[in-house]
Amino acid sequence: MAIPARPALPALDVSPAARTLILGVGGFLGSIAVLVLIGLVLTQTEEVFTWSGYWQQVVSGLAQGAIFASLALALVLIYRATDILNFAQGEMATFTTYIAWSLMNHMSYWPAFALTLAIAFIGGAAIERTIIRPVEHRPEIVIVIVTIGLLIALNGLAAWIWNPEVKAFDSPFPNRTTEIGGVVVAIQDLGVLGVTLVTVILLWAFFRFTALGLVMRAVANSQDASRLLGVRVGWMLALGWGLAAVLGAIAGMMAAPSVFLDPNMMLIILIYSFAAAVLGGIDSPVGAIVGGLMLGVLINLLGTYVDFIGGDLRLPAALVVLLIVLLIRPQGLFGHKVVRRV
Amino acid sequence: MKKLLLALLGVGAALTVALPGAFARTEATQAPDAVPGITKNSIVIGGTFPLSGIASLYAPIPRGMEAYFNYVNARRDKKTGQRGIYGRKIVWKYYDDGYNPGQTVQLTNKLILDDKVFATVGSLGTEPVLAVRPLHKKLKVPQVLVSTGASYWGLQYKEYPWTSGWQTDYVAEGRVYARWILQNAASSKIGVFFQNDDYGKDYLRGLKQGLGSRRSLIVSELSYELSDSSYASQLSRLRQSGADTLVLFTTPTPTARAIGTAKAVGWNPKQIVINSVSATDQVMAGAARAAGQAYVNGAISTGYLKNNTNPKYRTDGAIKAYRRIMGKYGPDGININNTFYYYGVAKAYDFVKLMYLAGKNPTRAKLMAATAKMNWVNPYALKGVRIKTSRTDRFPIDQGKVVRYNDGSWTEISALYKGR
Amino acid sequence: MNVVRRNLGRAIGPALFLAAAVLVILMPRFMGEFRLLQFTLVAIYAIALIGLNILTGYSGQISLGHGAFVGVGAYTAALLSLGRPGLEALQLDPPSWMPLGDGMRPIFTIPIAALVTGLFGLLIGVPALRLGGISLALATLAIAVSFPIVMKRFAEVTGGGGGINLNLPETPFGWDISTRHWLFYEAWVTAGIVFLAGWLLTRGRIGRAWRAIRDGEVAAVSSGVNPALYKTFAFGVSAAFAGAAGALLAIETAYVNPDTFPVGISILLLASAVIGGLGSLAGAIFGALLYVFLPIYAQKPPIFSFEFADQAPGVVFGVFLIVIMLLLPGGIAHFFRALVVAARTGRFRRRSRTSELA
Repeated sequence: MAIPARPALPALDVSPAARTLILGVGGFLGSIAVLVLIGLVLTQTEEVFTWSGYWQQVVSGLAQGAIFASLALALVLIYRATDILNFAQGEMATFTTYIAWSLMNHMSYWPAFALTLAIAFIGGAAIERTIIRPVEHRPEIVIVIVTIGLLIALNGLAAWIWNPEVKAFDSPFPNRTTEIGGVVVAIQDLGVLGVTLVTVILLWAFFRFTALGLVMRAVANSQDASRLLGVRVGWMLALGWGLAAVLGAIAGMMAAPSVFLDPNMMLIILIYSFAAAVLGGIDSPVGAIVGGLMLGVLINLLGTYVDFIGGDLRLPAALVVLLIVLLIRPQGLFGHKVVRRV
Repeated sequence: MKKLLLALLGVGAALTVALPGAFARTEATQAPDAVPGITKNSIVIGGTFPLSGIASLYAPIPRGMEAYFNYVNARRDKKTGQRGIYGRKIVWKYYDDGYNPGQTVQLTNKLILDDKVFATVGSLGTEPVLAVRPLHKKLKVPQVLVSTGASYWGLQYKEYPWTSGWQTDYVAEGRVYARWILQNAASSKIGVFFQNDDYGKDYLRGLKQGLGSRRSLIVSELSYELSDSSYASQLSRLRQSGADTLVLFTTPTPTARAIGTAKAVGWNPKQIVINSVSATDQVMAGAARAAGQAYVNGAISTGYLKNNTNPKYRTDGAIKAYRRIMGKYGPDGININNTFYYYGVAKAYDFVKLMYLAGKNPTRAKLMAATAKMNWVNPYALKGVRIKTSRTDRFPIDQGKVVRYNDGSWTEISALYKGR
Repeated sequence: MNVVRRNLGRAIGPALFLAAAVLVILMPRFMGEFRLLQFTLVAIYAIALIGLNILTGYSGQISLGHGAFVGVGAYTAALLSLGRPGLEALQLDPPSWMPLGDGMRPIFTIPIAALVTGLFGLLIGVPALRLGGISLALATLAIAVSFPIVMKRFAEVTGGGGGINLNLPETPFGWDISTRHWLFYEAWVTAGIVFLAGWLLTRGRIGRAWRAIRDGEVAAVSSGVNPALYKTFAFGVSAAFAGAAGALLAIETAYVNPDTFPVGISILLLASAVIGGLGSLAGAIFGALLYVFLPIYAQKPPIFSFEFADQAPGVVFGVFLIVIMLLLPGGIAHFFRALVVAARTGRFRRRSRTSELA
């Protein structure tokens, strides 16, 4: 007797682009749902809770997270291309922000911004070719020390050239607030979110639609295969570092108006960004962004609403949450499982 | 194999000779009456300061001191006609501890054991000074005029008789703010934003002590860590608490950030109060650029030194002396409007007075005795401030005037308050 | 002839060790107090670096949190040497469940601090198994960042930001020897013990297992090595050594405070270990020499301007790290070993070639 075959499920026959769109929108709506849920929980547990206060914390957390996300994206970019964790990413960002500061004494904001990005690009590529190239094939620990050395050197160099006194950094966005649906939101925060969004879209478009982006993706996938296809791998790696430096410069210039410019500005942000990148999956750009935004919101909410943690244990608490996530999913939220071959 | 055994035997023989000798004490050979750091024509003193790292904005302080000491070494004393102090030139050595107390211990040992300083002067930082306070006590080396506003130095002089402070301590300063508020703005709703360590907590304690029974004027007190990358959370909560007075017990960079963030979260406090350490021109300029000049105008603080950039003091004798000294004896190409150079000069003035008080043949004990007998006017300090200590009062400076900021300079708006 | 030469070659290691021992024993006779203090610190940091060497060099787990282990050892020693009465005299209020005792001689706090820190390391080692290279680096960085914050938070036990002043060191049992000398020997004897322990561990089965795991974990597993066991053990051992170093540090400087163990210390320790030379215990000594002497001797009088002098040590150190890694990726110890091998085998090779030709 024939066993009736189980009816096959209709295949979800959608294009990858549509799938990305669905996941993206779904993720976005899902996050809003989670945030609303958290808010509902807090109405029960907190004695003083206002929805407008809550959303304000969420928005400023997102703005902070956007800065983490930009730097995390830079870290991921370099890691995907060269398998290197660049500890100096934060200091490179600080250094380029100082350059921007000097430029802004001579020209207006957006031209200085653009020129800084160009300088950052060249600087990043130069660093890759001169300092990183000789040690690329050495053991991981050696490269780690090289990037740490770069961090220390750039920090001292910035303090020497521009002296360590705190400096104000102009923002292209007015330092005012506006009300959206009863929630007071800083225009600066919206601006940072906007710039980050534009950056991410441009970057995505670059990798997706340009030939150069395609070549870089190939190199990130497999250097040897790319070399066999005639790609000048060395220049692609330098390009990757240059782009990462540009991302870092954007992060620095977005952070500096509120954090104020001094040589150690990005040190703490680097730690957060590192955490965000690993949380999202060190080889996943989407993960870097999601991780950064999540971390920003998490820190803000933890500090505000969890009294035991209070201000001082915010950072350790966020890191503990992060590590728990990593223990459950070691490759990060969006990362790929590492298959170890002998 | 035989050669190896011979080698081992040789080493063993060396050991048996070396070991007993190694345990012998090495006595320091020195003239019996000599005071370390004092010779016929020099006084060697030292200090530790954060020249690099997170607190490097205080680096001008030892340089200001250096300029003043250079001046004293070059000028002839009006009474004795000698250069330096009773003919002894001051040799000033200072090292960079990066604000790490572990480094401070090593560097202070270097100053005392290697450089053989007479005393350490003006070392900066509460924790670095605490780290080496027992060492000074054990070795009986004076640790004077330390650059921190913690109250330990003035309160614990019995347990630690070899350590003394200088500036108005944070608790006393907090009390001054409280008194001013009670006298001038007794219906304020105060929101305090403070650094979560002894610095911020001392200020807060002083504020509360000064308010006494009107402590309820404080409607919210929130802290931050140096590891925080944004204060938006705390400042928006302060705003929501209904406070109309923002009191900032914060170090310089966080002060600028806090003001910028307060504006960013849409708060416009009626009155901003900034602690004296952070009420510097650089911080105010930075804050003004971020939040607008109108936002920071009207902020108040306290001071015990003359404000070296206030146009009112342009013709003041002390300010003119300061400019002359820094110009001639200070490093080239610096910004002499930086308050920390001025602070260094003012402190160096008091050290020189202390050394004179210690007499023509100073000893370490005499220097410490002098720190309990201070009683003079420092020309670099505000009019009416008296540098005074006694057997029971070990706070050399405990007064301050409230000052208000407007368009780039600070104006005195109150009489002299006594913080202790 | 060749047999003797080979035996002499093998004897170089122990001979160097004995020569170093003689040097250490004789040092106090010829050195001023401050120099002795510096060399005491060299011993202390060498102990910590041996631990880091084992963790990162031998078992291949990158740790950015070693400073926290040193800090745990330091605080343990501080709390134990003061005991409950001593802490209460400092207006601290440790919870009653803590077995603090009534204060003990500082020297006994060293093994206890090592034990406590070692247990802490094992605790870290277990979840560390699940995390790979980058994630482990992050986890250890998280510990290093959180350590000062947590120490400040539980101020009733740790003295918070103000820290804890230990009793100034004294010579024990009324020996007639200066305190400085006593501390020097205490540190170096401990360093000698740790060095021997490290040597025994790394040359034996455990060391081979560690190296196998570092060079290819999957291959190691197929050879029957249980990586979880050895990796966790490496964490425990390295933490224990760091704890001993921390205890000695607390005894030596007589002050513990959260800001003495910031994140930077962990980074600098790692850099010193790598420059000294991973995979070689002698590298720990080179690394410690670097760690102690470079910051002090980098503070020279101004060359161009005083701003340059302030920041020069930082810039120079950073550039130094980069250059050393470019030129000597194996570290200083590796360089010396290569020299020794070249000297030996170079002569061998020449000799055997000519003897063959003849």
